[in-house]
Amino acid sequence: MSKMTLHLKIWRQKSRNAEGALEDHTIENILPEMSFLEMLDVLNEKLIKAGKEPIEFDSDCREGICGTCGLVINGVAHGPQHLTATCQLHMRTFRDGDTITIEPWRAKAFPILKDLVVDRAAFDRIIQKGGYVSANTGSARDANELPIGKEYADKSFDAAACIGCGACVAACPNASAALFVSAKVSQYTYLPQGHPERYRRVLKMVNQMDEEGFGNCSNHGECEAACPKGISIENIAIMRREYVKAALRAGAAVV
Amino acid sequence: MQDTNKQSVVPGAIESILSIFDSTPGRKIITGLSGLGLVGFIIGHLAGNLSLFFGKDAFNAYAEKLHSLGPLLYVIELGLLAVFVFHIVFAITVTAQNKAARSRGYAVKGNAGKPSRKSLASQSMIYTGLLLLVFTVVHVWMFKYGPGINQGYVADVHGAPARDLYRLVAESFQNIWIVLGYSSIMVLLGFHIRHGFWSAFQSLGAYHPKYTPLIYAAGILLAVVLAVGFIAMPVYIYAFVKV
Amino acid sequence: MSTATKRNIEVREGAALKANIPSGSLDRKWDTYKAGIKVVNPANKRKYTVLVVGTGLAGASAAASLAELGYNVKAFCTHDSPRRAHSIAAQGGINAAKNYQNDGDSIWRLFYDTIKGGDFRAREANVHRLAQVSVNIIDQCVAQGVPFAREYGGLLSNRSFGGAQVSRTFYARGQTGQQLLIGAYGAMMRQVEAGKVELLSHREMLDLVVIDGKARGIIARDLYTGEIEQYAGDAVLLCTGGYGNAYYLSTNAKNSNVTAAWRCHKRGAYFANPCFTQIHPTCIPVSGDHQSKLTLMSESLRNDGRVWVPKNPTDKRPPAQIPEEDRDYYLERKYPSFGNLVPRDVASRNAKYVCDEGRGVGETQLAVYMDFADSIKRLGEKAVRDRYDNLFEMYERITGENPYHEPMRIYPAVHYTMGGLWVDYDLQTTIPGLFALGEANFSDHGANRLGASALMQGLADGYFVIPYTLGDYLANSEIKPVSTQHEAFGATTQEVQAQVSQLLAIQGNKTVTEFHRELGLKLWDYVGMSRTADGLKQVISEIPALRKEFWENVRVPGDAKDWNKNLEFAGRVADFLELGELMAIDALNREESCGGHFREEYQTPDGEALRNDEEYTYAAAWEYTGKPGDPILHKENLEFENVKPSQRSYK
Repeated sequence: MSKMTLHLKIWRQKSRNAEGALEDHTIENILPEMSFLEMLDVLNEKLIKAGKEPIEFDSDCREGICGTCGLVINGVAHGPQHLTATCQLHMRTFRDGDTITIEPWRAKAFPILKDLVVDRAAFDRIIQKGGYVSANTGSARDANELPIGKEYADKSFDAAACIGCGACVAACPNASAALFVSAKVSQYTYLPQGHPERYRRVLKMVNQMDEEGFGNCSNHGECEAACPKGISIENIAIMRREYVKAALRAGAAVV
Repeated sequence: MQDTNKQSVVPGAIESILSIFDSTPGRKIITGLSGLGLVGFIIGHLAGNLSLFFGKDAFNAYAEKLHSLGPLLYVIELGLLAVFVFHIVFAITVTAQNKAARSRGYAVKGNAGKPSRKSLASQSMIYTGLLLLVFTVVHVWMFKYGPGINQGYVADVHGAPARDLYRLVAESFQNIWIVLGYSSIMVLLGFHIRHGFWSAFQSLGAYHPKYTPLIYAAGILLAVVLAVGFIAMPVYIYAFVKV
Repeated sequence: MSTATKRNIEVREGAALKANIPSGSLDRKWDTYKAGIKVVNPANKRKYTVLVVGTGLAGASAAASLAELGYNVKAFCTHDSPRRAHSIAAQGGINAAKNYQNDGDSIWRLFYDTIKGGDFRAREANVHRLAQVSVNIIDQCVAQGVPFAREYGGLLSNRSFGGAQVSRTFYARGQTGQQLLIGAYGAMMRQVEAGKVELLSHREMLDLVVIDGKARGIIARDLYTGEIEQYAGDAVLLCTGGYGNAYYLSTNAKNSNVTAAWRCHKRGAYFANPCFTQIHPTCIPVSGDHQSKLTLMSESLRNDGRVWVPKNPTDKRPPAQIPEEDRDYYLERKYPSFGNLVPRDVASRNAKYVCDEGRGVGETQLAVYMDFADSIKRLGEKAVRDRYDNLFEMYERITGENPYHEPMRIYPAVHYTMGGLWVDYDLQTTIPGLFALGEANFSDHGANRLGASALMQGLADGYFVIPYTLGDYLANSEIKPVSTQHEAFGATTQEVQAQVSQLLAIQGNKTVTEFHRELGLKLWDYVGMSRTADGLKQVISEIPALRKEFWENVRVPGDAKDWNKNLEFAGRVADFLELGELMAIDALNREESCGGHFREEYQTPDGEALRNDEEYTYAAAWEYTGKPGDPILHKENLEFENVKPSQRSYK
C-alpha cells in the first residue's frame, strides 16, 4: 500500500462577490483507497488544526446519487474517471507526486458561494416551470391500467437517472444546461403520462433555462462524457424536436 | 433571481413562432438549417468549379451558363446572401451568449474523453467561420466583381464573347501566396464542416443511436472531400497551367 | 410518577401514552377514522400555514399534497435543492400489496409481514393503514411519471425483496428512491410554481417555537448567509429522517442528522425506541481512519453470493488459495434452511461474531467474504453480470477489486433507525401541532424494518395520511394567529444564537469530526449489533464526559455569517452527543432482545433474539427533563389483537 504525496491547487474564494485565486497545498500520506473527498477531508482536518480556514466544498450521500458534490479536477468535471461522481472517485486514480488542480463549477448561472461551493438554484427554477406531470394526490387510476412498453419505460428511466449535479453545465464549453433540461423533457416525452403537458412543458422549461443565463448547446457532447450517469445527448435532440413542435403549435388548443 | 410567484404565460402563435429566433434551441436550429444550406451551395460550387480541370472552354462555358440565368441568378444570389447572413448573425449571437455564460474560464482545461465530440474543430467554429467570412468577401470581390470583358478578359463561348474567368483564375493562382492562402482557408472550411455537418443534424433534432455515428463519419468525409477538392484546383493550376 | 429501581438502571416512569387508535375492526379503522374527522373548508385552508421541515419522500409528498388542498406551505431543506434529500439513495424498491403477481399477496399479508418483521414491537393500527395505502402510492407514482421497471407487455414488474415470500416490490433499477423522490419533488415544485409552496432551501431548523403548548413556528439558519430566521405557522411537520449518523459511520448521507427532531424533543416531544437501529449486513467495509461514510450494496447480492471466512484465524492466504475444506460458510452451516438469506440482523450479528473470533478478512480484519465463484460456475458469468453488474462495478470503483475474480469483502453498517419521535395514530407528537413523518417518527417498523418498506412509509405518511390527520387537527383546535413578533420567537432565537456563538467561541484543540468519530465508535461498540448491560453502563458513563469535553475543547473554524460546514456539523454532533446517551439508556432499559436490538443476555439456546413479551410489549417514549441523561419513560403498551406474537426462527 503506497502512500502518496500530492500537490494541490485549489480555488479559494471568500464569498459570492470576492475575488478568488488558486491556493497551493501539499498533502502527504494519501492512501489509494481514499475517496477524493476523503482526501480533502484529511486536508481540512489539518488546516483546522493549524488554525486555518478549511476549504469549503459540498457533498452529501457520497455514493454518487444525490448530486450534491462536484469539482472540476484538472479541467474535467467530476475528474478523470468515466461515469463517476467526484465522491466516488478514488485516489488510486492518481500517482504519487501528481499536481491536481481543483476548481468549482464555473457558469454565470451557478454563482460561487464560497471556495468550491456553487449555487445551483437555477435548476430548481427550471424544474418548477414544468419538470413534472401535474397529477394531484389521490387522482390516480390503477397503475396497471396504463401499459407502457418496456423499451419506452427504459428510455424514460435512462433520462430520469439525472442526478442534477450540474456537471453538464460545468463541462460544456458554453456553460449550457441543455443536457439537464432535455433529460427531464425526454423522461416525460417517452411516457404517456407526460403527453398532456408536453408542449407547455418544453416551452416553459426552455424559456426559464434561457432566462437563467446558460449558454447555447453547440453539440460538443462534452456533457455526456462528463455526466456521472452517462445521459445521452440524444435527449437534447428530443428536446429540440419537442420545442419546434411546441413553438409551431402555439396558439392551438394543445398548448 | 426570478419571481417565483409569477405565473408564466404560454405565448400566443406569433410570439411563439418568433420565439424560435430568440431561444437557445431555436437559434441553433436556424444556424443548423442555414449551415446545411451553405454546405449544399458549397458542394454545388465545387462540382461546377471542377470543370476547371476540363480546360478553359469548359470552365468559361459553365460560368457563362450561370450568368445566362439572368434575373433568376439575382434571386438565387439574394437567397444565398440571406442564408449567409442568418448563419453569421445567429452564430455570432450564440457565441456572444456562450462567452457571457461563463465569464471566467477554468485555469486548467481538460477533456472528458469519449463519447464527447469536442474537438479542435468544434471549439473553433466562430474563428473558422469568421475567417471564411473574410475569405468569402475577398473571393466574391476578386472573381465576381473582378476584371471582365471591358478589361480585356474575353473568351469565346459557343461563338459569342464572354468573360474569360478562366484566365482570371489561372492568373491568380500563379501567385504562390494566393495558392497557399486559398488552400489554408479551404483547410479551415474542412474544419468548419467537420463539426458543422453532424452538428446541424443534431441541432435539428435528428439524433439516432445508429445513424448519428454515420452522419458524424459522413461529416468528416465531406470535410475532407470538399477541402481536397477545392485545394486541388490552385495546386493543379500552379503546377500545370502556365499563362 | 413512580421511580422504580430496575435491575440495571434507575428509570423514572411517567404516565402511559395513548395512541388515539380508532375503534372498530383493524381493517375498518382507517375508513372509520376518515369518516369521522372534521375537514377544513376550502376557504379556510387558505388561512393556514404549514411548516414542512425536510423534503425527502415524506416532506416533499406532504408539502405537495397539502398545497394541492389549498394550505399555504413553507418547505425547508438543509440542502441546496430539495431533490438531494437522502431518500434519493434508497436502492432496492418500494413494497405495495397490489398482488399483481397473483402470488397470494394482500393488505393483510403485507401488514402481517411488517408486524412480524418488526418483531412485534410496532403498532398494529398504523401498520395496517400503511399496508392499505401502499396500493395508492404506486398508482400515484405511476401517474406522476415515475419510470418503474416494466415487463414487455407494458405492465409493472415486481420482485421479491429482503426474504419476502411474495413479489410485491416495485422498483426502478437500483435507483428507486431517486425516482420516487424526483416524483415527489416535481409535485412539490409544481406547487412552488402555483405559489402555494414557498421553498426555503439551505435552511437548517435549529429550534421549535412552542406557544400556548402548541407548535407554532421554527427557528432556522440560512446556511448560505448564516442568518438566523424565524417562521411562524399553524402546524409544523417534521420530515427530517433518521439519526443513523450518531454512529459517525453509516450508510446515511453526510448531512443526515437528528438536530431538528432532537431540539423538538427538548421542547417536549417524546423520543421513542431510540435503541432500535438497523444494521445492514452487506456494506463495503471500512478501509481506514479516513473513512467518511459507508456504502451499501443491495441485499439482493445475498441471493447468489455465499458468505464465508477461513476456519482458522491464522489463515492469511489469499481467498483463492484457501481450499473448500478450510472455509467456513457459517450462515449455511448455522441456518441450513435460510442459509445466506437470513434476515438482516441475523446476518449482521454473525459477521460480527466471526470477526470477533479473529477470523475477519482483509487489511482491517473487519470483513467477511461474499463469494460469487459458485454462481458464476453455475449460471455463467453473463447471467451474474446481468443481475449484478452495476453493483459489481460500484464495488470495484470503491475498492479497486474485481468481484468477478475475487470474492467481495463485506461488513455490516448502520443503515436505518426505527426509533424516532413518538407519534400517535395521527402522526402527532406529544407537542400538539407538531407532527413527525417518515423515518423521523417511530411508528411503523417496530424493532426491525423490512426491506423496501422505508420508501413506502415515507410516501404513505406524506401523500395519504397527513392530509387527513392534519386537517382534523386544524379543524378541531383553537389556533390563534401568531406572528414572529411573539415573545416566544425572540426568546427561542436568542437561545439558538447563543449556542451558535458558544460553538464558535470555544476554539479548543479537537475538531468536530474527531468528537463525532469518537462518539460513533463508542455507540458502534456498545450500542451496535449486540449489546450487554456492562457495555451499556460503561458507555452511559463515558458519553457525558465526552460531551463535556466537546463543550470545552471543540474547535469550530470560521464565523457565523457565512457558509460554514464545520459550524453546521458542530451543532449536529452536539445533539448526537445527547441522543447517544439516550440510545444507550433505552437499550439498557429494554431487557430483552428484539429485531435490531440484541442484548447478549437475552438469547435462545440457538443464539436467536429472545423477546420478553410479558414485560416489554411497549414502545418506550422518553421525555426530556431539562438535562441529558435524565429522561422519564412513558410506555405505550402495544396490543396485539390480530396477530399473535411468535418466536422467529430461521433454522
